[in-house]
This record gives sequence, structure tokens and C-alpha cells, in this order.
Amino acid sequence: MLAIARRIGLYVLTAWVAITVNFVLPHLMPGNPIDQLVGKLTGRVTPQIVHAIELQFGVGLHQGLVAQYVRYWEQLFHGNLGTSITLSAPVSTVLGQTVPWTIGLIGISTIVSFVLGTIVGTLLGWRRGTVLDAVLPISTFFQAVPYFFFGTVLLLVFGSHLGWFPILGAYSPNVTVGWHWAFVASVLRYGQLPALTVVLSSIAGWIMGMRNMMVTTVGEDFVLMAVAKGLPKRKVIAYAARNAVLPSIANISLALGLLVSGALLVELVFNYPGVGDLLLQAVENEDYPLLQGIFLVITFTVLAANLIADVIYLALDPRIRGEA
Amino acid sequence: MTGVWDDDVVEAADVRASSAPAGITETQDGPGMPAALETVPETAPETALETVPEPVPGGPALAVSSRGRDKGAVVTPSERPGEALLPAPSEDDAVFEICDLSIDYGLGPGALHAVRHADLMLRRGRVLGLAGESGSGKSTLVYGATRLLRQPGVVSGGSVRLYSRRRGEEGRVVDLLAASERELRRIRWSEISVVLQSALNALNPVSTIESEFDDVLKAHRREMSRKTRRERAAELLTMVGINADRLRDHPHELSGGQRQRVMIALALALEPQVVIMDEPTTALDVVTQREIIEELIGLRDRLGFAMLFITHDLSLLIELADEIAVMYAGRIVERAGASTLYRSPRHPYTHGLLNSFPPMHGETRRMTGIPGSPPDLAAVPAGCAFRPRCLYAMERCGTEAPALVPLDGEEHEAACFLHSGDVAVPGELAR
Amino acid sequence: MSAITETTARQEGPLPETPETPALAREDTARRHRALVLPRSPKVILGVVIVGIFVILMVVGPWVAPYSPSSTQFAASLHPSAAHWLGTTVLGQDIFSQLLVGARATLIVGFVAGLIATVLSTVIGVTAGYIGGPTDDGLSLVSNVFLAIPGLPLLIVVESYLPAHDQSNSFIIGAVIALTGWAWGARVLRALTMSLRNRDFVEAARIIGERRARIIFSEVVPNLLAVLASSFLFTMLYCIGAYVALAYIGVTSTAVWNWGTMLYWAQANNAALANQWWWFVPPGICIALVGMGLALLNFGIDEFINPRLRAAGLTRKVVRRSRLSNRPRLGLTPVLGRPA
Ligand SMILES: Nc1ncnc2c1ncn2[C@@H]1O[C@H](COP(=O)(O)OP(=O)(O)OP(=O)(O)O)[C@@H](O)[C@H]1O
Ligand code: SF4
Ligand SMILES: [Mg+2]
Repeated sequence: MLAIARRIGLYVLTAWVAITVNFVLPHLMPGNPIDQLVGKLTGRVTPQIVHAIELQFGVGLHQGLVAQYVRYWEQLFHGNLGTSITLSAPVSTVLGQTVPWTIGLIGISTIVSFVLGTIVGTLLGWRRGTVLDAVLPISTFFQAVPYFFFGTVLLLVFGSHLGWFPILGAYSPNVTVGWHWAFVASVLRYGQLPALTVVLSSIAGWIMGMRNMMVTTVGEDFVLMAVAKGLPKRKVIAYAARNAVLPSIANISLALGLLVSGALLVELVFNYPGVGDLLLQAVENEDYPLLQGIFLVITFTVLAANLIADVIYLALDPRIRGEA
Repeated sequence: MTGVWDDDVVEAADVRASSAPAGITETQDGPGMPAALETVPETAPETALETVPEPVPGGPALAVSSRGRDKGAVVTPSERPGEALLPAPSEDDAVFEICDLSIDYGLGPGALHAVRHADLMLRRGRVLGLAGESGSGKSTLVYGATRLLRQPGVVSGGSVRLYSRRRGEEGRVVDLLAASERELRRIRWSEISVVLQSALNALNPVSTIESEFDDVLKAHRREMSRKTRRERAAELLTMVGINADRLRDHPHELSGGQRQRVMIALALALEPQVVIMDEPTTALDVVTQREIIEELIGLRDRLGFAMLFITHDLSLLIELADEIAVMYAGRIVERAGASTLYRSPRHPYTHGLLNSFPPMHGETRRMTGIPGSPPDLAAVPAGCAFRPRCLYAMERCGTEAPALVPLDGEEHEAACFLHSGDVAVPGELAR
Repeated sequence: MSAITETTARQEGPLPETPETPALAREDTARRHRALVLPRSPKVILGVVIVGIFVILMVVGPWVAPYSPSSTQFAASLHPSAAHWLGTTVLGQDIFSQLLVGARATLIVGFVAGLIATVLSTVIGVTAGYIGGPTDDGLSLVSNVFLAIPGLPLLIVVESYLPAHDQSNSFIIGAVIALTGWAWGARVLRALTMSLRNRDFVEAARIIGERRARIIFSEVVPNLLAVLASSFLFTMLYCIGAYVALAYIGVTSTAVWNWGTMLYWAQANNAALANQWWWFVPPGICIALVGMGLALLNFGIDEFINPRLRAAGLTRKVVRRSRLSNRPRLGLTPVLGRPA
């Protein structure tokens, strides 16, 4: 499993880079943002919070950067990401409440989008040269629409105008939170429009990618061979698609960072109580500890998802598997 | 060997015994031929003189090969009542026949004519070799005939017929150019299998060898159980000299030679009547190439399929094939029994080709090769396409295109004006 | 953030490994540098037209805008009319003027960031691909790390730490965006350079003792032009998306007019819920159109690079005019003169 070990190595390194950047940024940015922040906060929030901030960023500790870096790692290992300024709560607690919403929304809609897009792309690639090709220029338009703009339009049309979907939030304010059907149903209902937004804005990419790969693969000899063998058409398409999907899966890890970035902003449009919404609050209030915590959590989640995609790829491509 | 398998071997052998055409004496001994070649000395010039054909009356009128017309009459006798009196064609031994086939790349005035008016007949249980330089249109011809040619390939004329004669079935003629997709799917692989030129890339990279066999058997032998399919796959693989435990391997785990053998086993999986092999050994080293060819000869003898074997290596064909057709610039320029072609080539191009390969057996000839390079198909010279490279070119060659006409009897045809009777035939083309 | 698709759209990799695109390889040795000539398909023409219009808008936008984009002198929330083509905001600002003025900042930041990122990816990718060895390992690792880190969250953190005056500086913002956007291009260019490195003409230049820098600039880079152009288009698309997203969240200065800040103010004032479509739809459409134009141009480049994507010889029109037995498809070669 050399290939997987290499990927894990890369992700560990990436995580280390992300953590280090996170530590270094406040210290290296011009204009001493931490001092300014502490100055601004004094008197506005409780002294405990100011103290926590000072501790986190090493203000007044008169420690060297290296010592601070070591202390930063210690804190991390204890799951301590600092204290949110606006919410007056530990960042880890705040994130623990919001991350599941985001993973649920973005995870599910990404899988749906990938599967649907791959199927449509397969058919488009197979039936190249027909009217279906007209989908291409249209899909470039949808590819270029920012997720949050798409969300806004859907919100206006289907939410506030037609009233087909509930808008704003992740569940009805009238149900009590808990593991019972009324709540789950409400969550599913409220999730539809945001999920639809993510699916519709990301699907064009999967369609295009799969379509182009299909066109290339159908040109391969083993596909012609499948025809020469008199296999049913369904089987011939499967031969090609099974090979063409591999680069799509390999590309998930490249696309995921961008996809998550885009999808986070969808939460913001729908006031969905996930990380994206939190991000906006953090930006608005210059809540640096929260902002940095969010950055780390998103990075780790994306890396984990990448690893899953890599494992799937490995399972599907015997050539790489053999290398290990 | 299962019972089914044995039965078919017997049947195939019967077919071969009963249908050997009387005309092709030099190939009667089939696989023993290479040995025969070694012992038969160069034919003396005097005997060759006797076989120079009678001048063909009416020359150009024979532009359409007589063979093509005969066959047309067989399938639709009512259309050509006047020709019913021609010598009865031995239709029961033809299994795959290409008549007057033309294939273009593209449509309209910009089309590239890659194959023009080609006639080929494959006899039951025989090996027909198709030779020619790279780019002469060999692959185009067979892929077009089997409707496997990709865009922008278009069949622009002619006919392709399969004379199907499966056990327990009435003899049946399938017109491949008129067949529906469903019909084609049915006869593909079960009656005609094609080993593509790039056979090394023809196996699905992500499937196992076993599932390659399994897919074929599942599609064409619905009655087979999973277990029988697996047994059959193992049996086939063993037949081509690969251990059955390689069934679980993927193509990338096999060597080039092994992949080629797998392809051959795959091609024989349904015991088709026709096997088309497009340069199956080109990418392999000489030793492996030899082994595979010998294996093919053995399999053909045992199973009795008819084989259309494409290569640019004429010396290989002389050992393997019963009959050889030579292609140049999209046309068939000479066709004859293998040893006849070897001993007495009639077309200057064939002569040149024979001199550009060292023969595998037999006496060595002086290698001269052919000057110049094959024409660009987009700009084939007027008249005889070979003229710019031909040592014997005459005035007439620049204006008229020679047709493929019978020379020393029905079984030797060439398309060259040297044999029209108007001029003295150079010694080396009259042996 | 629609640039998400860049990777998938091009995943078949315009990397001319020789067996994949033999035509390219062969032509390549014959005529070493092919000029980048875009196929003249309707798609490409549409792309050129769209991009052209927006380039003009970028130059003249602020000059032809009828009003000042910030002036609140008009009645609030006017519907589109002859006086205000795109209506007004709740603050009584003319939206059409905001759109025209905003075009410049949006496109310039996208262009600058795309340019910086492409230069970075060329330097890093070509160096890694050409020199190979430990240099390659190191540079590839760096690009892979940058690819794995989600760009937007990092951008948000970095930008929010920027001093206020830098948050309105287009060039600094563009440079920061470029830092997160170069890695993909570097990867593609590295792979391509590696395959070029072993081609005859590069080999030949090495043998006659050309200096390395000279070989890279006169032999390798010209052959990268098509891929470079395609990489630039997609990077620019990513950069515009990133800039607009940053502005929409409000990380960059909300006082600088661009299409992202227009969307920020629309969102902040709940334009969607108030049914004021004319406020947020125009900037969104403009962003999508720019992206579409760039992507369509890229179609042309892709088809130039990968001939298999080009519409094959038999176009639909020709097929319809000829008497063919069937539409050409795999395993059913059409027969002329035998219409079904
Ligand atoms: N897709 C295509 N479009 C246009 N011309 C083509 C196409 N494919 C092949 N040709 C041309 O058709 C001619 C015949 O090609 P073909 O592949 O049949 O040759 P071949 O005899 O099989 O050669 P080889 O021994 O190299 O396999 C060649 O001149 C080739 O350039
Ligand atoms: S027809 Fe003429 S040019 Fe052609 S091969 Fe014969 S002699 Fe040569
Ligand atoms: Mg060929």
C-alpha cells in the first residue's frame, strides 16, 4: 500500500503546514493585528476573554517564537483552539455544534452531484456528435455561476416567490431538537434547497469532466474490442465508463477544496447553521480565534475526505493497486 | 476438453476435408507447406513460360473481377439471369466474402479513398493472408468490412457476406453491410472474431482476464452456468499455453506475448467460423512471434476456423497462409496461392516486397526492396498507383488504372499491364 | 467559486504522452512550434465575443457609468426603468453604474491574480519538470500541499489579517489570491515539460551544448504555449471567483465597487427576500458570463491540444446531406447509398 502511505504522508505534511501557517500568520502580518485586536477588545468584552486571547497569541508572555510554537502545539493536542470573542465560548465547542451540519449538507450533496454528474457525463460522452452536445456551452455558464449567487436566485424563486421550499435555517423553529421523526423530517425539508444549490452549481463540472474522459476512452481499442465481441451496448458503455471514471475520482481530491469553499458560502445564503455561517460572523466581528479554528477544521475535513477518495481510487484501479 | 469441444473439432475437420478446392493444388498439404517450400526448387523459366496467360480479350472491360460477379449471382440469382451459365462457383466453401468493397474516410469531395474495389474470398478452414506496406489500407479493409471502422470511416460501396453454416442450422447468408445492429451483435465473435491491430491495448485495463472471457460467454452463450463459463475460460487459456491461474490477473500483469495469446484464446472462445487477425505479432520479438504463429497454425488445424491474417511481413504469410492477397494504395494488386505467389510473383510490387524481407526458410534471395515510399492516399497518382516506384512503368500506366484480372487460371490474379499480353513480360515476373 | 470545475473539466490532462496523442507527437517533431490557432467553431467565436465585450467594459466602464456608484441621491429600491436601467438599491444608488464601475476592479484583480499565478506555476512547473531529481520532488511536494489546502478559508484568514488599507488594494489582494491559485497549473506544466524534455529537438539542443535557460525558453516554453494559455484562462476564472467570494463575505473593503461587493450589499439588505432581483441578478449574471466566455475560449484550446475532442470529420450537417445507412456510431460504420 505504498501509494496510500505516500498520500497519507502528503496529508500529514499538509496538515502540519496548515497548522504552522495558522500559528505564524498573526505574528508575521504587517500592522501587528494582535495588539490592535487586544486594544480594540479591552473594555468591550470580559477581562477573562481578553486574557485568553493574550494567552493564545502570546501577548505579554515575553516568550520566544519557538517556545510559543511549542505551547501552541500543546494546546492543539488538548483540543484547545482558543476562545471565540463574539460567542465567548471555546472555539472547539462552537465548531463541534456546527461542523456536523456542514458535513451533512456538503457531504451528501457532493456525493449526489458526483454520481448524477458522472452518469450524465457518461451518456453525453457516449452520444457525442448528437444534439446533446448543446449541453456543453450551457454547462460552462452554470460552471461559472458562483454557488452563493445560485443559492440566492433559488431562494428568491423557489423559496420566497413560489414558496415551494422553506427558507432560512436548518429546521423549523417550531420543532424541538432531538432524534425524533418530526425533527428529522424538518431537517430533510429545510436541507433541500441548500442541497439543490450545491448539486446544481457543482454538477456541471463533473458532467464536463466525465464527458471529456468518456470521449477519450471511447477512442481506446478495448472499447472497440468490446463492440467486436458483440457485447450488449450497456456493457460496452460500462467498459468505457468504468475506465473513464477513474480520473474523475482522482480529481475529487483536487476539486474538493474548491467545492467546499463554494458550498460554505451557500450556508451563508440560507442562514444554515454550519461552518459557513459561522465564518461570516467571525469575519464580521474580526473573531480571529474562531476564524483560525474554522480554517483548521475545514482543512482537516478536506484532507480526510481526500484520503477516502484516494482509497476508493485505489480500490478501483488495479494498476496502481499492483504497484503497492 | 469437454464433449462440446471435441464434437466441434470433428465437425470442423470434416468441413475441411470435404471442401478442399481442387484448384489450389499447391496448398493441399496445408500446414506442411513450409516444408514443401524448402524442397521445391525455383521453378524453371521454361515451365513458367507455359503458364503465361492468354491475352485477355477486351482488357479493360474486366475492370470488375469475375469473382465478384460470380458471387453476386449466387446470392441474388434472379438479378443476373444472363450469368447463370458461368462456371458454378464453389459457394459451399466460401465463408466470408468481400466484393468490390470501397471505403472512404470522410464524405463528399474531400473524402479519402482508403480502399477501392477490393475483392477477397475466405474459404472455410483456410488461411488467407493480406499483405502490404503500412498505410496500404489493410486494417481499413477489414474493419470496414466488419462495420467496426470508426468515424470518419464510411463504406462507400460493395458487399460483404458471411456464409454462415453452424451446426444444426440451415446455411444462411448474412449481408454485413445491410445487417441491423442487433444482427451484427449476434454474429460478432460467435461467427467472426477480430483481433485488433493493437491487441496489446485491446484488453480492458481494469478487468481480469477471467471477466473478459466471462463477458463474451455471458453475452453469446446464455445457457452456460457460471461454473461452466469459468471452466471454459480455463480450458481456453490452457489451450494457448497460459496457466489457468492467470485468469485472475489483470492485463498489466501479463507480458506482451501473453496478452497476445489471451487475445487469441478469446478470439476462439465461441469457435467462430472466421477469425480476423490484424498484425497480431508485430509488437513482439521474433522468438515470441514464431511461437505464436506456430501455435496459430496448430490451432487452425485442430479447430478448422478460417483465418484472415494481416501483416506487412510477406515472408511470414508465405509460411502461414494458403492464399495471399497483396494490397497497394487501397487496392488489391495481386492474389494467388501462397507458394505460387512466392515462386512466381506477377506484380512488380509483390516482387519488390518479396525481395525486401529475408525469408524465414528456404534459400536467401538478394534483398533489393522497393525504391521510394508509398503514396499519400490523398494524392494517389493517376493511372497505376505504383507507377512512380515501378521499374517497368510504361506510358499506358500513367493514364489507365490496371484492373485485377486472372492470369494463370482463376487462382492467380494481378493488376498490372505487363501481363496484358501487349508487351514482353520481364523475366523475374514470368517465372 | 465555480472554478471548482477547472480540474475536472480538464482532467484528461492535456499532457501529450506520446501514445495518447500520436498526432501531436508526430507533428511536433516535424514542425517544432505549432502556432496556437483556435479552431473556428461557434463555441470559440462566442467565447471571443463575450470576453471581448467584458474587456471593453473593463476599460471604459467607470467612464461611461451614468452616475457615481456610491451616490445615494435617488429614491430607494426603484424598479428598472429608462432612467435607471437596473433600478436602485435600498440606499438609492444606481445599480447600473455600480455594475459598470465594478467591472474594472473585478476583472483587473482576476487578471492580475491570474497572471501572477500563471507566472508562478510556469516557473515552478517548468523548473521541476525540466530539472527533475530532488528539485522536482521538493517543488512537487510544495504544489501538492498547496493543492490540498482549501484555498478560500486560507484566503479569508490571510485577508482578514491584512491592514485595512491593504484590504482595498487590488494588487495586494490579487497577489494573495495568486498564492493559492498557482499549484494546479504548476502540476500540469510540470508533467508536460517532463514529456517535452525527452523529445528529439530538446535532446538535440542539449547535445549541441545549449545553455539550460536558453533551451527552456526557446525550445520548451514555446511548446507549452497552448497549455499555458489554457492554464491562464482557468486560473483567471478561479481568481475572479475567489475575489468575488471574498468581497461577498466582506473580507475585502466593502467600499471598493466590484461585483462581489454589490452582492455583499444585496445580501446584507436581504434583497432576495425583498424580491429585489434587479439588485443581485446583474452582477451574478456578469460573473457567470465572464466565466462562460473564458471556458468557451478554453474549449478551443482543448480541442487544439487534444484532437480527439475535435468534432470528427463527419459533422452532423454532412451526415444529414448524405445518403447514409445510419448515423456514424461505434460498431456500426455507415454505408453510403443505403439509407435505412
Ligand atoms: N481516421 C482516419 N482518417 C483519415 N485517414 C485515415 C484514418 N485512419 C486511417 N487513415 C488512412 O487510411 C490509410 C489506410 O490506413 P490503414 O490503417 O488501413 O493502413 P494499414 O495497411 O493497416 O497500415 P498498418 O500496416 O500501418 O497498420 C492510411 O493512409 C491512413 O493514413
Ligand atoms: S501497371 Fe505499370 S506501373 Fe503499374 S505495376 Fe504494372 S508496370 Fe508498373
Ligand atoms: Mg493496420
